[in-house]
Amino acid sequence: MTGNPLHDGLRLEPTPGPTTFVIFGASGDLTKRKLLPAIYRLARRGRLPAEFAVIGIARSQMDDNAFRTQFFDCLKEFAGVAAAGDEVAQSLANRMYYVAGETDDPALYQTLQQRLAAIDGAEGVLYYLAIPPTVYSTVIEHLGASGLADAPPRGSRRIIVEKPFGTDLDTARALNRLAHQHFDEDQVYRIDHYLGKETVQNLLIFRFGNGMFEPVWNRRYIDHVQITAAETVGVEHRASYYEGAGALRDMVQNHLMQVLSLIAMEPPIAFTAESVRDRKMDALLAVQPLVSTDGDSPPDTRNVVRAQYRAGWVNGVEVPAYREEKGVNPQSTIETYAAVRVNLDNWRWAGVPFYLRTGKRLPKRTTEIAIQFRRPPLEIFRRAGQTSVSANLLIVNVQPDEGISLRFETKLPGARMQIAPVMMSFRYGTTFGGEVPEAYETLLLDAMLGDPTLFARHDFVEASWALINPVLDVWRAQTGDISTYEAGEWGSAEADDFIAQDGRRWRSL
Amino acid sequence: MTTSPVELLPAGADVPFTRIGEAMARGVCQERGATPMRALVATVVAVGPIERLSGAAEALQSLGDAGTVRGILISDGTNPAPPARVAGNTVALPGLKSQYVNNAVAALRLSSLPTLVWWRGGRPEMLAELAELADRTVLDDPEPETIWARATTLFEDSTFSDLRWARLTQWRALMAQFFDIPEVQAAASTFTRLTIVGSDRMSARLFAAWLRSSVAFPDGFADEYVDRAGKTPLEEVRLSDHEQELVIRVAAHGSCIETAVAVKGHRSASRVVLMTDQSLTGLITDELRIRARDLAFERALRRLVAQPLPTS
Repeated sequence: MTGNPLHDGLRLEPTPGPTTFVIFGASGDLTKRKLLPAIYRLARRGRLPAEFAVIGIARSQMDDNAFRTQFFDCLKEFAGVAAAGDEVAQSLANRMYYVAGETDDPALYQTLQQRLAAIDGAEGVLYYLAIPPTVYSTVIEHLGASGLADAPPRGSRRIIVEKPFGTDLDTARALNRLAHQHFDEDQVYRIDHYLGKETVQNLLIFRFGNGMFEPVWNRRYIDHVQITAAETVGVEHRASYYEGAGALRDMVQNHLMQVLSLIAMEPPIAFTAESVRDRKMDALLAVQPLVSTDGDSPPDTRNVVRAQYRAGWVNGVEVPAYREEKGVNPQSTIETYAAVRVNLDNWRWAGVPFYLRTGKRLPKRTTEIAIQFRRPPLEIFRRAGQTSVSANLLIVNVQPDEGISLRFETKLPGARMQIAPVMMSFRYGTTFGGEVPEAYETLLLDAMLGDPTLFARHDFVEASWALINPVLDVWRAQTGDISTYEAGEWGSAEADDFIAQDGRRWRSL
Repeated sequence: MTTSPVELLPAGADVPFTRIGEAMARGVCQERGATPMRALVATVVAVGPIERLSGAAEALQSLGDAGTVRGILISDGTNPAPPARVAGNTVALPGLKSQYVNNAVAALRLSSLPTLVWWRGGRPEMLAELAELADRTVLDDPEPETIWARATTLFEDSTFSDLRWARLTQWRALMAQFFDIPEVQAAASTFTRLTIVGSDRMSARLFAAWLRSSVAFPDGFADEYVDRAGKTPLEEVRLSDHEQELVIRVAAHGSCIETAVAVKGHRSASRVVLMTDQSLTGLITDELRIRARDLAFERALRRLVAQPLPTS
């Protein structure tokens, strides 16, 4: 028998082969909030193979049963699932194991090897580095040295690396070099959860599955693009990480550059991982340096703005200044807000700025892409005494309410020629019914299936750092204090001036 | 038992036949006010005896309230322009004379979007005309044999599915996943028996017909059906020979399905997955996602229609 005749007409989404999911950092926050709930949801939907197991690894002293209890607890807390009576959770828990150890101890990897040998599903092993980035190299080296990176003839060994992929260009290159010493590039999955969001994936369908948008997707019709990732939260429990990162590293270098490349890329010749990632890479390579230098003159940083939040009110709650947050240096000059003007030098986008902004303690949690079209060339209604028409706007809502909206002008009912903008909206949550998968579900499943389309390739990561690095260098060299904005406001006055210089303004969200 | 238009759409408003389009555009709904119009995806026309339309009305209203589907409920009758009742995005036309069904659907369906006909029973001779109107016809007849036989004669011209078939999707998927295992594929030539336990014999026959139309089992292979009352059409499917077996069954609490495989050369394994949404709304939502002709369904139904009724 060749193929599987029972798949005919089933519209089945593929199920991975036998897989053991090994989590380094199994007692950590990411594991509890995202990974284990995602695994549970995949199991519920029947997307995991029968031969599936989880091995959690962390320093905490736990046995298998304690790890299973942690699994039930996190399901209750982060997925709203009571384990008692939930047969999927119980069944999954029976295949969860735990290994305690230090990541720099070779004995840990021997124990892991023994556990894998004893478990069904060890043909395919997916490692997940849910650990501090400082430990990535230790784990990768030990996995390589102990032979745990070598795939058996009928299996696979893959590794998912959480962001940040390095802290600058040099460290990113070093991490890639190290990873490639032990894993081939097609075994390495650099996860960026933005790419797992339904709307972000839909950008490809929207652009290349419709005939009407691509012809206007260029400098002739588009005035500019605004990409916003706004958070209401502060640094929460991540102060030590954030103090070494800031908004530019934390959001722009990865998430926003990924989104930008999907908006700006040329059509791929096929929907294959390499074709899509090649075109994204082309787009990134067309981005002009964010900092320009001219001989002895000081670096020109007019394309970037940064700021830090002061105390203020967000969602009706009084919040402290960044410098007053627990774990933050009281003199910190780390940016909690960044805005970047990106210019691409290619035929499609020359002269069309992409404005990227991200910040913490902003008034609203939202991530969106707004594509603003040019106004009509002749404003005939203005001559008839009407106010100026609004530019057409295409808005891609990435979160929290995933969907697409189009704003266009329409005539108000009545004898007079009065014009008003209307918004036509499509929302995933209401249009198709059913649950929209969480980003981590999509991405974990893709990694198990060996589909890297939605993961960052090594060259993209490095090219992105190459753009960001000069900005970080300039900021590091600056001695003055950082601009501030009141928590609960949309960034600093400089950020408004920054876009106003181009005769534009930030969208009010 | 009869059901009145008011019972079908209790929150609706009576409107003259000629004003239905206008009323639906306004989203008339007495209790909820106007329904917000969102991204529409399809028209669903539920056709059947009025007492069979209640469940359909509830499902269509649920989809209509989400603003995505225009629902049209039609029961067969003698009135060329029956009083219509509109609630949000759903309209009921009880007692519509059959020869006017086409006109009504043509006038009321959303342009440029798919139309799905949901057949909940009725005179079989209406099926061909309705199927011609639809991009897809979903059969859902309590006594399906006659309509299934008729549908097989229309496969070349229209696209069909069936809610029994839709309810079997997860069972078929789980069986298909067994056959992803090379050792199970190899065992196919030695399986001798398919045992299906459930409360709906027609679903069991459809599942068996699908399996036998897809896999070449050895001579002497036998189907066995065991009737057992339960919440789901199928309770257990077992494909076996004297030493190997594949089992799919409803798990203890009734909300999950458990699978187990035991074949030569392969480790025994089992898993539990959540049972998919089996509500009418859930099933129709799934059907709305499908565009293509379902050749596996057609093969299964042709086989079922051609074979004599099995004995228990």
